[in-house]
Amino acid sequence: MNKLLPILTVVVAIMVVWYAAAVGMNKKWALDQAERAGISLSTGALISDTWSQDRPRLPAPHQVVAELWKSTGGMVIKGKPFSKRSLIFHGWITLSATLAGFVIGTSAGILLAVGIVHNKAMDMSVMPWAIASQTIPILAIAPMIIVVLNSIGVQGLIPKAIISAYLSFFPVVVGMVKGLRSPDHMQLDLLRTYNASGSETFWKLRLPSSMPYLFTSLKIGMAASLVGAIVGELPTGAIRGLGARMLTGSYYGQTIQIWSALFAAAILAATLVGIISLIERRMLKRMGAA
Amino acid sequence: MGWVVFAVAFWLATWFLNAWIARGPHAQTRAAGLLVPVIFGVTVIVVWEALVRGLNVPGVILPPPSAIWVKLVSATDILWEDFVQTFVKGALSGYIIGCGAAFVTAVLIDRSPFLQRGLLPVGNFVAALPIIGTAPILVMWFGFDWQSKSAVVVVMVFFPMLVNTVQGLADTTTMQRDLMHTYSASYAQALVKLRLPAAMPAIFNGLKIATTLALIGAIVAEFFGSPIKGMGFRISTEVGRLGLDMVWAEITVAALAGSAFYGIVAMIEKGVTFWHPSQRS
Amino acid sequence: MMKLMKGALAGLVMTAGTAMAAEDVTLQLKWVTQAQFAGYYVALENGFYEEEGLNVTIKPGGPDVAPVQVLMGGGADVMIDWMPSALAAREQGAPVVNIAQPFKSSGMMLTCRKDTGIAAPADFPGKTLGVWFFGNEYPFLSWMGSLGIGTEGGDGVTVLKQGFNVDPILQGQADCVSTMTYNEYWQIIDAGLSADELVTFKYEDQGVATLEDGLYVLEENLGDEAFKDRMVRFVRASMKGWKWAEANPSDAAMIVLEYDETGAQTEDHQVRMMGEIAKLTAGSNGALDVADYERTVATLMAGGSDPVITKAPEGAYTMEITDAALK
Repeated sequence: MNKLLPILTVVVAIMVVWYAAAVGMNKKWALDQAERAGISLSTGALISDTWSQDRPRLPAPHQVVAELWKSTGGMVIKGKPFSKRSLIFHGWITLSATLAGFVIGTSAGILLAVGIVHNKAMDMSVMPWAIASQTIPILAIAPMIIVVLNSIGVQGLIPKAIISAYLSFFPVVVGMVKGLRSPDHMQLDLLRTYNASGSETFWKLRLPSSMPYLFTSLKIGMAASLVGAIVGELPTGAIRGLGARMLTGSYYGQTIQIWSALFAAAILAATLVGIISLIERRMLKRMGAA
Repeated sequence: MGWVVFAVAFWLATWFLNAWIARGPHAQTRAAGLLVPVIFGVTVIVVWEALVRGLNVPGVILPPPSAIWVKLVSATDILWEDFVQTFVKGALSGYIIGCGAAFVTAVLIDRSPFLQRGLLPVGNFVAALPIIGTAPILVMWFGFDWQSKSAVVVVMVFFPMLVNTVQGLADTTTMQRDLMHTYSASYAQALVKLRLPAAMPAIFNGLKIATTLALIGAIVAEFFGSPIKGMGFRISTEVGRLGLDMVWAEITVAALAGSAFYGIVAMIEKGVTFWHPSQRS
Repeated sequence: MMKLMKGALAGLVMTAGTAMAAEDVTLQLKWVTQAQFAGYYVALENGFYEEEGLNVTIKPGGPDVAPVQVLMGGGADVMIDWMPSALAAREQGAPVVNIAQPFKSSGMMLTCRKDTGIAAPADFPGKTLGVWFFGNEYPFLSWMGSLGIGTEGGDGVTVLKQGFNVDPILQGQADCVSTMTYNEYWQIIDAGLSADELVTFKYEDQGVATLEDGLYVLEENLGDEAFKDRMVRFVRASMKGWKWAEANPSDAAMIVLEYDETGAQTEDHQVRMMGEIAKLTAGSNGALDVADYERTVATLMAGGSDPVITKAPEGAYTMEITDAALK
């Protein structure tokens, strides 16, 4: 309860501001239309108009919720949960690329981190470039990645997953390097007195102590994967997925559709991050760390 | 095939060179710390050039580094104009406004744990809104020039910065706070003398994350409408015109600017938080 | 290496061909699935391609897809592109060749709000115009070039890169925006502006029309008889699709809707688009009209100090395919 109340308060406050903003931002169009039609609007009519326009500058919250429901729950009731007009279908497309990218990105990130911790040359040469690689705008090179992969015959899910992996590997590398190095000298010395080999040190000390760091970076990596999967949908023709919905929404000026896809994506991200937190809590509890 | 063999051989040679330096007696020196990544970078460029030549990759798919360099030198004026439009006007202004606003908000809600508990989860949710969706909306609201790019950057950097600052402000021990009490320090004094300095590592963490976000945000936002200059505009236009050398020249500028930006913030951090364990190695 | 792989792939296709299986053709569209490409979807849906022994895959495009790049990368056998960007690509070293031209007329126009005081092209200087980029800016630049209007602001016009929609004119950020007769123009109307509040300048009427939606392939492939034969059959079936779509516009629009995977297209909009598209394809049997080609080249080269192409292209089109297909 003491968690929910503050969140609710903030959400309600945002709603109030949002509704007010919707009036302010959509007013001009409503007045424009009325003037052209030669009628004058009363304040009440003006406000209700700003909250129910077809292509508002800022849709009112209930319009977004209605659209979300229409394209998810409403579709399920109609018995067509996987129709292409359903956000469940598009969400699923995005989700599958996200998960594939997340798995590739995390594995690559962990391997690279292990390499960096155990190989001095790699540590010194790769790290600065890993940072530089993240300053490259992915949206700019995404089409090239798709075309290059296309030319060697790779299509479909994989190119999107690779773009999503590109975004998610970096936080994992940074977090894991920190985590694998987190055992202090005392602990490392202790293992040396046990005459532990390199691999034993890794499995019994370094890896377990890196777990809290791993989970933190997994959460960031997951959110990044989702963004990557959405970005990857654009240069593949933007035919399916939440990114495609946002783009076609923007293309046809359907603001409500953009907003509902936007929220669907954020809800998806929150759910995935929530699942990781749950696993984290159980696992750390088992390890006796939390 | 000759080029491909050369690429592999060159890669192996520099790899051993780097391994030798890293294991050698001078590995801890500053020079080695600079030399090793530089050798690595040179390797990437040489291998790239050799593979593009060896495999006859058409220039409209991936241009060789030499062509990119030629463009970089010959189109400096355009690149500079784009840089000013996107980086200085769009990214930097958004970065300052966004980080500044987040910092002020964090200090303001510092006295209310109620607001903190409410704002942080909502903030995390909002931060997960993908930029592909927010950018067209903000372009519609704030027009086509740099103001909308700046707004996208503000939205992108605000919440990571807020979360980090709030966490940082909580980063003092009871002992330290009690000490402040015994000095009968006021809230403001405790904030300025103890908690803000203690929050600096977390604040700089937020500032560093925000640097890469800012540049990417400003570039991506230009894909959704812009005046006819700017790095994002140039990239998307030149891809359509198959001027891939120009595209990569812009990407190079973006990577250099982004890394330099990150480096400058990291240097300031070193100066401000010299006392923190992570800076004393 | 690339050649080697392509060779191996071609080998595979050949062996598959002898086994009497349908031969694969991949078509890269210039834009998202919509009635602009109805002919191809109709040919696919109605089995016209199948009758010719072809297994056709249609890849939709989008704001981040450069068809020429996909073609060069081997991701498609044939692409739809506008002639200005195809010729510009050719000059950049991407040897693409026009093999058929289903669109006779240009649908491009500049749409302005009447209350901005624009009545003729002479009123443009000092105004803000929205233009598409990504290779679609060439017709606009040549037009301004031939009018002698600068595009760098100041005495000339201020150019905005408009996004994928008509927001700039609705929100008052631009005085004019680029529109297609079959698409964006109707989005403005749908958004609530009426036709008599707008002034439109069709490129066709201004004498600066350039050829749109043509079929292009890589020059090196045309040396291959088997490839040429596939293209002949592809063009024949596609044109059959186009003529069917012209005759049955609302059915054609429904077929397109079936193939739209975003689920964002609406029936009204597609039916209307199909009606407008039919006006543009009417009068073309698929063969390129050399006079139209010459006019396009002349327009592109007339672009003032910064022409889109600097010299008349050679070998940028071939009649071989359509001659064989329409026999």
